Amino acid sequence: MATDETELDGRVYEPWLFLTMLDELANADAGIGFIYSVLDLLAKRYSLTDAVVVLGSDQVGTQAFRLGRRQVDADSLELLDNVDVVVTTPDVVPDVVRDAVRSVCQLSLSLHLARYGAANDPLTNIANRRTFETALETASVQSSRYGWAFTLVLIDLNEFKAVNDTVGHAVGDDLLRTFGYALRRAVRGGDTAARIGGDEFAVILCNAEGPEVASFLERLRSTVVPTGSLISFTVGTATAPRDSTEPAELYRIADARLYEKKGKSKR
Amino acid sequence: MMTPSEEDFELELRSLPGVLSVGVAHRDDGEIEKVTLFVRGQDPEVVRNVALQVASLYYPRAAVAVEDANRAPASSAPDAARVALVRTDFSVHDGVSEVFLGFAGRTGIGRSGSGPLVGGAEATIAALRELGFDVPFFLVAVNAIASVRGWPVMVTLRSLSDSGDRIGIAQAEGELESSARATLDALNRYLSSPGAVGR
Repeated sequence: MATDETELDGRVYEPWLFLTMLDELANADAGIGFIYSVLDLLAKRYSLTDAVVVLGSDQVGTQAFRLGRRQVDADSLELLDNVDVVVTTPDVVPDVVRDAVRSVCQLSLSLHLARYGAANDPLTNIANRRTFETALETASVQSSRYGWAFTLVLIDLNEFKAVNDTVGHAVGDDLLRTFGYALRRAVRGGDTAARIGGDEFAVILCNAEGPEVASFLERLRSTVVPTGSLISFTVGTATAPRDSTEPAELYRIADARLYEKKGKSKR
Repeated sequence: MMTPSEEDFELELRSLPGVLSVGVAHRDDGEIEKVTLFVRGQDPEVVRNVALQVASLYYPRAAVAVEDANRAPASSAPDAARVALVRTDFSVHDGVSEVFLGFAGRTGIGRSGSGPLVGGAEATIAALRELGFDVPFFLVAVNAIASVRGWPVMVTLRSLSDSGDRIGIAQAEGELESSARATLDALNRYLSSPGAVGR
C-alpha cells in the first residue's frame, strides 16, 4: 500500500486525492470545469493517458466528459448508455476512487445545472424573471443614488398566440428560442435580457437613453427580421431617473406604453 | 480551470437535444478554436445550426463540427482528407481576392475580382474546383450581418440539381476570410461525402 493510502473497513482510500478533490470543490465555483479538473487529478495521480466520466441528469441526459476536454470517439460509444461509469486507460484506478470521482463529478454537474437553471430561462437561455427583477432593483438603486441613467425595455411578441394555435407549440418554442438568440446578439455587455413571461421579454439597457435605445432596437430588428416573417414585436420603454427610479413604477410606465402601442397597432 | 463563460458555453451546448459529448480545442492564445459535438437521435445538421447560433454568442470565431453517433465518426478519417483554409489574400492594387485551400497534401488556389466579400466565396469555390472537387452549386448571396460582436458573413449556395439552399456562417479577421470560411461551412457536409471529389 502506498504511503498516501489508508485502509479502512477492508477498503483502500486515498485521502490525498479525496481531500484535493473536496478542496477544489469547495474553492471552485463548481461546474463543468471542475469535472475536467478532477479528471486531470486522476490522470496525474495514476499517470493516465485517457479518462472519461459518464454522468446523467434529467436536464441534459447522458453526458460524457473526457480528459483534456477532448471529444469522445467510437471507442466510447458503448459507454454512453451507462451513466454510472468512469473509464480510464490504462485501467489502474481502484473502484473506490472511481466511485468517488463519479460522485463528485455528478455533484458538480448538478450544481452547475442548478445554478444555471436558477438564473436562466430554460427555453431561451436568457435571464429568467427572478434574475431580471434583481437586475432591475440593482439598476434602480444605482440610478437613485448616483443619477445613472438606464432604460427598461419591455417587449411583447405580436400574435404569438395565433402562431401557437395555428402551427403548433413546437414552432412557437422555436420562435421564442430564435427571438432569445436575437436578443442576446442585440444587447451589449453589461445589459440584461430576460424572458419574463410566455411571449414577454425585458431588457435593461445600462447607461442608455433615447439614442442608445434606438440603436438597440435597430440591432434587434435587423437580427430578427431576416430570420423569419413570423416574428414581429412591440416595445414599451421607461427611462430612469427621468421617468422614475422605482422598479415597480418603471415597469408600470413601460408596460402602459407597450399596451398603448399595441392598441394603436390593432386599430 | 475554465472561465465561467466557457463553462456556460459548454453547458448550453450539452443542453441541446441529442448532444452526448462536447470536445473543445483551443488556439495558442487560449481562445476556443473549434467545438465538436457528438450527437445521437437528432439531425446533425439541425443541431449544428443551433450550435452555430450558440457559438456566435460566446465565441464567434469558433468552428463547430457535429459527429453523428449513429454513423462512422468523422474522427476516424485522417485530417489530411479534410479541406483546410490555408490563407487568404486581397490585393489592393488590382482588387483580386485569393483563397488558398489545402486538401490531402495539395493546395488549391482560387481567385476572384468581385471584392473581398463576394470574391471570398467565389475564390473558395474556384479553389475547391482546382483541388478536384465537383461543386454543383452556385452562389446566391453573400451578406455581412451586423451583430454586437462584429460582422459575421453568411453565404448562401444553391444546388444546380435542385432548389435546396446551403447556408454557412463564419466570422474571422476580415470579410475575405469570413466569406471563405462561411463558404466552406456551407459546403461542409457535401465536401465530406464520397462523391464530392471528382478526379
